Amino acid sequence: MSFRNTEHRWGSVAKFFHWTIALLIIGNGIFGLCMDLAHGPMQQINWLALHKSIGLTVLALFLLRVLWRLANRPPKDEPTSRWQHYVAHGVHITLYALVALLPLSGWWFNSVVGKPLQYFKMFNLPALTDANKDMARFWHGVHENLFWFLVLLLVLHIAGALKHHLVDRDNTLRRMLPFARVRPNSQGER
Amino acid sequence: MNRSALTFAPLLLALALPGLASAADYAVQPAGSKLGFTGTFQGQSFDGTFGKWTAAISYDAAKLATSKFDVQVDLSSVKTGDKDRDGALPGSDFFNVTKFPQAHFVTTGFHQNGAQVIADGTLTLRGVTKPVSLNVTFKPQGTGGTLDVAGSVKRLDFGVGGGDYADTSVIANDVKINAHLVLTAK
Repeated sequence: MSFRNTEHRWGSVAKFFHWTIALLIIGNGIFGLCMDLAHGPMQQINWLALHKSIGLTVLALFLLRVLWRLANRPPKDEPTSRWQHYVAHGVHITLYALVALLPLSGWWFNSVVGKPLQYFKMFNLPALTDANKDMARFWHGVHENLFWFLVLLLVLHIAGALKHHLVDRDNTLRRMLPFARVRPNSQGER
Repeated sequence: MNRSALTFAPLLLALALPGLASAADYAVQPAGSKLGFTGTFQGQSFDGTFGKWTAAISYDAAKLATSKFDVQVDLSSVKTGDKDRDGALPGSDFFNVTKFPQAHFVTTGFHQNGAQVIADGTLTLRGVTKPVSLNVTFKPQGTGGTLDVAGSVKRLDFGVGGGDYADTSVIANDVKINAHLVLTAK
């Protein structure tokens, strides 16, 4: 498997970004929803610190991913109808935006609350805006609703991938899977 | 011996023994005076102040042997600019104000390190008494002056933030103490 994308499949770097960010953002989303289960304030402080650090990791990976994507042409779309092509790309662009907006809205919320932002106990990052506790609930709501919007788009994204895989029986999913071999296409290429 | 000699005896004694004369007593002016600390939470420092405290200050840089600080701090008057923290600090995990409402610092002596005057004393906080030394900077102004005091304590020496809160990677052990006192002659 090559590091770079080819005409028919994603390279290992693109796959790494896709699946690592997928695992981190879904895991951190579920973790974020479980914050209230912490036993006592200190555990909550530690859980929140971990949640924030994972979110910042997603943001850093996202920036690297965008650079890689700009420097590396993606594979050609598998043949599909025009409307499916537009829906798929619309969902992808929105997913990209959400992967950035989730950590950024969390960072903004943290700034509004006026709490420190420390990356895995190693170094601190500045606030994005002045503290304003009256707006804390609002920004918490923005952060959480963005997550639910992401979940909705993920359902569409996964449904699309499964439809291609199971109904169209093409390589759309296979060419992004870490270890799967792509099926020969109509031209017999791999 | 006649009456007038008796009356003047203490005065004569004081003049004869200047080394034993006591340092000047000062009254603290609440306006402009501040007693506080700087802690570190998740790598970020925060400032706290106490709203209620009293200090008996007797000081003369030339008469350190008779100088004395005696400070009482009402711990429930702590403010750090964060609602969660201000709610937690008086609680049993931190200052435990219901059991130990006050902190008390009293000097046991002064010494000099070069030009720097250092007040050695004991701090009683949360039922624990430990020696604490503070740097002293006094600037006379007319009959009064300003007194700046700075030092450092380890919060865990006094059991402030024990149990889960003992994790110094989240809440640093070192806490800086700082005070700025505006003094007028008594």
